[in-house]
Amino acid sequence: MSYIAMTTGFILILIGFYGALTNRNILRMIIAFTVANTGVNLVLVAVGYMRGRTAPILDAAVPVTEAAARIIDPIPQALVLTAIVIGVGVTALMLAFVYKLYATRGSLDISNYTELKW
Amino acid sequence: MVNAIFIIATGLGTAFLLGLLKDEWRTAAYGITLAALALMSWIAASWVAALAWGGAATVDIFTAGTEPPFAINLRMGLPEAVLTLLVNLASLLAAVYLRDTMFKQGRRAMAVLLIFAMALCGIILTRDLFNLFVFFELTVISTGGLILLSRDKRALGAGFKYLIASQVISILLLVGIIFSYHATGTLNIDGMASMSAQLLQGGSLAFFLMFIAIVAELKPFPANGWALDIYESAHPAFSAMLSAAAGSAALFAVDKLLLIGGTQWLPVATAIGIVSFIGANLFALAQNVDRRTLGYSSIAQIGLVLTVLGQRDILGDSYLYIAGGILLAHAISKAGLYWLSGLVEGRELTAWTALRGRPLLIFAFVTFLALLIGLPPFPGFYAKWDLIHTLAAQDRIMLLTLILFGALIEAGYLFRWFGYVIKREQTTERVACTPHKVAVVYGAVIAGWTAAYLWGNLSPHGNLLHTLPLLFALGFLLLEWLPVWIKNTIAIIGLVAWFILGFPDYDPLQLIFAAVILIGGALILLSSYHVQGRRIGFYPSAMLMYAGLAMLITADDSFSFFAAWESLTVGSYFLILRGKHSEPHALSYIIFSLGGAFLILAGFALASQGVMDFQLQALGQVTEPLSAWVFMLLAIGFMTKTAAIGVHIWLPGAHAEAETDVSPMVSGILLKAGLFGLFMLLMNMGKQQLYGIELTHVMLWIGALSALLGNLMAIFQEDAKRLLAYSSIGQMGYALFGLAMMNHLGWLMALMFVINHYIYKSMLFLSVGGIAKRTGTREMYRMGGLITLMPLSFIAVLIGIIAVSGVPPLSGFGGRWIFYNAIMTADHRLPMIIIFLAGPIAFLYLFRLIHTIFLGQLKDEHRRLKEAPFWLILPQMIYVACLLIFAVVPGMALRHVDSYLNQFFPNHGLNWEGLTITSSFGYWSPISIMLVIGTIFATVLAWLLFVNRKAQKVKQFNMVFAAERPYRPETTHYAWNFFAPYRKALGFLTQPLVTRFWEALTDLLHSLAELLRRFYCGNGQTYAIHLLGFVVVVYLLKVGL
Repeated sequence: MSYIAMTTGFILILIGFYGALTNRNILRMIIAFTVANTGVNLVLVAVGYMRGRTAPILDAAVPVTEAAARIIDPIPQALVLTAIVIGVGVTALMLAFVYKLYATRGSLDISNYTELKW
Repeated sequence: MVNAIFIIATGLGTAFLLGLLKDEWRTAAYGITLAALALMSWIAASWVAALAWGGAATVDIFTAGTEPPFAINLRMGLPEAVLTLLVNLASLLAAVYLRDTMFKQGRRAMAVLLIFAMALCGIILTRDLFNLFVFFELTVISTGGLILLSRDKRALGAGFKYLIASQVISILLLVGIIFSYHATGTLNIDGMASMSAQLLQGGSLAFFLMFIAIVAELKPFPANGWALDIYESAHPAFSAMLSAAAGSAALFAVDKLLLIGGTQWLPVATAIGIVSFIGANLFALAQNVDRRTLGYSSIAQIGLVLTVLGQRDILGDSYLYIAGGILLAHAISKAGLYWLSGLVEGRELTAWTALRGRPLLIFAFVTFLALLIGLPPFPGFYAKWDLIHTLAAQDRIMLLTLILFGALIEAGYLFRWFGYVIKREQTTERVACTPHKVAVVYGAVIAGWTAAYLWGNLSPHGNLLHTLPLLFALGFLLLEWLPVWIKNTIAIIGLVAWFILGFPDYDPLQLIFAAVILIGGALILLSSYHVQGRRIGFYPSAMLMYAGLAMLITADDSFSFFAAWESLTVGSYFLILRGKHSEPHALSYIIFSLGGAFLILAGFALASQGVMDFQLQALGQVTEPLSAWVFMLLAIGFMTKTAAIGVHIWLPGAHAEAETDVSPMVSGILLKAGLFGLFMLLMNMGKQQLYGIELTHVMLWIGALSALLGNLMAIFQEDAKRLLAYSSIGQMGYALFGLAMMNHLGWLMALMFVINHYIYKSMLFLSVGGIAKRTGTREMYRMGGLITLMPLSFIAVLIGIIAVSGVPPLSGFGGRWIFYNAIMTADHRLPMIIIFLAGPIAFLYLFRLIHTIFLGQLKDEHRRLKEAPFWLILPQMIYVACLLIFAVVPGMALRHVDSYLNQFFPNHGLNWEGLTITSSFGYWSPISIMLVIGTIFATVLAWLLFVNRKAQKVKQFNMVFAAERPYRPETTHYAWNFFAPYRKALGFLTQPLVTRFWEALTDLLHSLAELLRRFYCGNGQTYAIHLLGFVVVVYLLKVGL
């Protein structure tokens, strides 16, 4: 199960990279990066997964004393939450850039923004 | 002590607080921002104080009440404290600098700035990998925000390219972190380091991804197109932070990762670092946009620090000192330069001419350049010295060579820039001098000098800022407001006083050099009284040169020798640059000199084999086969200063274009530094063989060829000062030849040349300079018939050329006499013949000086000329007196040296009894020669006066001219191309082959840079491919290795 998730994750990352590197449209690039980010998140979760265990939430179902034996690794879960939040932030920032870029130059083609070079 | 976590808490809390304020309360918001940054700086500063001087120990800060690996911990040690202080101070100064922008943009911009500073501190403090990732992402987001502060429209595109790259980086980093965690079960850096073997075995790809992602944050060459675009287009205050603060933080993150990676990853860091250092410096050669140049230089410097991080295994205790020195120098200078760029309106390098007329800003500029290049007394200098020595001791010669090569390129384009600023036509735009921005720049200057002082204090070699001569030279910076005559008097007193102070301790050899440098320097300075006004910049430079020279001759260990060498090089560069047309010549001078200095550095480093306190005498104990290499490096280094043939091309321009009183200083005195170095070298190392070739024999050849070709080139010059300059190449060739003979008389002759060359070359440069001042030209065929108008100058030149040519009765003859005796005892015949040949050639150019300038027809426009200014004539007359005295009693100086030389060459000394000097081949009696020549001269003169007593005087225009007017009048002048027949016969020898060689070399470097920089095509997507390609290539190389 975790292998499927992990493989899917890596495939998503590769799809994302491929998309980001082949599409010249900036919006498509951003979407490609979100796909890659999703792939990363999937990989993160898959690494922490342990077969037959439950979510790392300590409540009536999982008493503290048995937690260590019954829950999956909580750290990747925590990491993935943070990573998602950061991903949202960066994506939002990129979109804001695109908005301003389009407002000033009226183009979404990345190859039109090469006035700085060499 | 305030808990270091408050640095982060303050930044974060204040950023949120700003969000609660009303948008109109800009002053309040700005005040709060400044206060927060000041508080963060203060906390960091108090930690620096406590850890460095208060005896406090490194502290771990645990969060969430548990210890790692269950919670994140931060660490505050000395490096962390220094770096957080750097980050927070840079941000504070940037906030001050950005005042107007901040007021315009409002509290949101201020909040982003705070987040940026806080995130960088987080990167430095945290010991948790995922936390590191979070802080890096915060940096990315705040960078994205701060890029928009720029007025430059292109910044938007640059920011987007940056975000693309950082997306790629963050994906790699996350994948790397999670698998490293999977392999070790911890996210704590120290925990992972303790399990590093396990990680590197099973999860080496995971570590690689983490490592390369963090390295990519350093913007390594060539995967860094996006970074360059930001450096070029962002607000300079932000570029300053990005280069200084963010670069330092990312370097520290790499340092932490290398804890995990251990020794097997150090070579990877080294390789990436050195490629960045050289590549970025090379590309910078082809730049003419200031901020992009600085961007390249940032990448290069960070690459250099990364290289140092990669040397961690051999640097031991000095690791922090070296890496910190280079890093701090880079951070302060780069921040300063970016801030300075904000004051300049234009974006070309030449637009910085606007700084001219603002001496304090020029001083700031010089300080930053010196910091960056690593000149004494700045931290980079100490750091580079230790680094090169350690590398040499550990046989990492290749790396050593590459570092010095990169440093030379860097010095090349930075000094070229400085030349533009000082010499190019000034733009009409003025410097935008808003007080708060200027204050920030001065803040960086103060930080630079403070760092220089601290690093000097930490250095085991002693603080250069405690040496009296250097302080004396720097003191002139404070006296710049005084008029010339006061400063000149102080300078003369200083030189003489230093001579008197040192007098009891000099040995005879040092005494001769000290007399030439200090007393001779004071004499030349007499001529500086003719300058009016304040002459800003002259005295600090001149005194820096003299300080270096004075320290050079008394240096005991290699460090003080080298520090003195660099000081005199830099001082003389500034001095030479003052000439009206000397920009290209000063540049070639400094590049050759620094190249030579680097060879000397490498030579000392090889010789010392890790001994940090290396006495010069110990050079003699260096063993074969190393000793021959040491000898060669040092000898070439010193010969660049004496302008031996092959590395002579800087001299003619540098000496000829310098100011009237500077030419004698750099010719008469400065060239002796190289001779002193050679004396020191030969005294300690003696003869050396490389692959069976006697190296002193090679030097003999170089000396002979320098003498021949230098003289030959001199005879074809039209420019009087150039003629004298070329003649110096020849004269130094003689001295080199004498030294390389490795016998008693050869050395005595070389010393005689030290004194003689100083006297007559200084005198001739002064008289020719005075004449050029009056006639407004240095081309000899434009002069003529000046004998009656400038009789004193005539006497000086006449005496001078008699002395140079080595005919009786003046001291030049003594030099020749010793010389002929010396070569009688030498074994090598062919170079001897060459140097014989050089003798008569000297007559040709000397004749031209007196004939073309003083004899013949007076030019109409010169009819009302006056004698050269008094202050130029006075030292010349003193020199005339000196020459006469030295001619009559040469033993006064030489006999002591002669007996001193006995300890090196006991045989073949001279006998100084009575008034004659006896060698094994004959005797020389100066006084009788003087009497005989004097009598003959007087008799002939009297006879001529007698037979011509009735001759009729003919006025110059008592004749008829033909009515022809040639297209180029000078071609019909008899004195133009005076030695055309000789040129036909021997001109092929003076083809500028060497010049062409060096030009081709620099052209090659430039066109390479021009061609290769097109790699940065400007497309953000291509940059992402570069980045991924870089990752793959590094991985393949690492696996393949």
